[in-house]
Amino acid sequence: MFDLASVPSRSESVVTRKTGHEYVLVPVVDNIADMNSVYTLNETGAFLWELIDGKRTVKDLIDSLIIEYDVDRDKASREVISFLDDMDKFLIIR
Amino acid sequence: MRSYNLKIAGYNIRVDSAADGPELRPEERFLRNICESSDYDIQISVHSGAFIIPEESERVFIAPYIVEIKGMKTSTRDNFWSIYKYKSELLLITNFPFSSPAKKAVLKFSLNTREWDLWIAESGAATDPLEYPLDGFILYYLTAINGDIMIHASGVNIARHGFLFSGISGKGKTTIAGLWDESGAKIIHDDRIILRNTGSGYSMFNTPVYRDDKPLESPLTRIFIIEHGISNKMKLVRGASAVSLVMANCIQHNWDAGLIARLLGSVSIMCSSIPVYQLFFRPDRSVVDHILENG
Repeated sequence: MFDLASVPSRSESVVTRKTGHEYVLVPVVDNIADMNSVYTLNETGAFLWELIDGKRTVKDLIDSLIIEYDVDRDKASREVISFLDDMDKFLIIR
Repeated sequence: MRSYNLKIAGYNIRVDSAADGPELRPEERFLRNICESSDYDIQISVHSGAFIIPEESERVFIAPYIVEIKGMKTSTRDNFWSIYKYKSELLLITNFPFSSPAKKAVLKFSLNTREWDLWIAESGAATDPLEYPLDGFILYYLTAINGDIMIHASGVNIARHGFLFSGISGKGKTTIAGLWDESGAKIIHDDRIILRNTGSGYSMFNTPVYRDDKPLESPLTRIFIIEHGISNKMKLVRGASAVSLVMANCIQHNWDAGLIARLLGSVSIMCSSIPVYQLFFRPDRSVVDHILENG
């Protein structure tokens, strides 16, 4: 679970490639069961992904999203937390 | 025989029995791929006996046997194959599900060399050095070295079109290949395809799986990611979505970031020039007409 003070960081075991304004993410795995896991980040996800550096807090991400996309704080908070929870579930961030 | 060359998907694979090696007897499915050549893209020296994996080796990837019970895929306790890293070399250890349980092999190779070694234990007097699953491994790592793509797909060629229908097991690759076959198209394959950029465009190649396979090639003009549906519907996908859909159907050993990056790059470049569609289809002739009218 992430809160406003959490400092997310990217997993080192994921390979990324930017395509236009989006990203494709492929985790490094050690068994065949997880072999074909591929994830896509849309433009907003890509924006957040590029901000995640192991230094910025969740609050920093929300503030940046508000400025970049001109959304209210409630919506920005929901989007950021939902994004981080998804990424955490797939072990793409820590 | 003691040595021969195979031409598969444009790759030239030379197989030699080493001084301590067994007699080589390729399965019938490879006979149409045997060619005369003094050159090779890779050379595989085949030895008899067991290769002892050095203790310092690190296991980087493992594949258990997967069995399907009442439609549910389940892993068994036994290892099917594994990959170990030892210094700059890779060691692939495998069993052979269609041979005696005592028969095992170790392929020692590297992504930077063209000379590989294969040890086969309990091979008998004569053996096929590309017995399943070794054929798939060797072809997969050849595609990885060359920046090519190996994918679960069926391919068809009709009237200057080269259509690739990709999906994992159960999505309808064989069904859709059969429908195109009935419509007079040339079927490149209905299981696994190798995609290569030939310089003038992308081509799809079959690989020997069935006993009557012969080497086939077709230009690639459209990629369809298939799903069964209640009606025929196709939707053009672009960018990261297209790359993700194709990547998810590629054969890939994702234990190494470099291998992933190379494949991701190849797929991204291909998807920037070959249109990718999601196709929901009914398993009858109507899907062929739908694609010819709308593709």
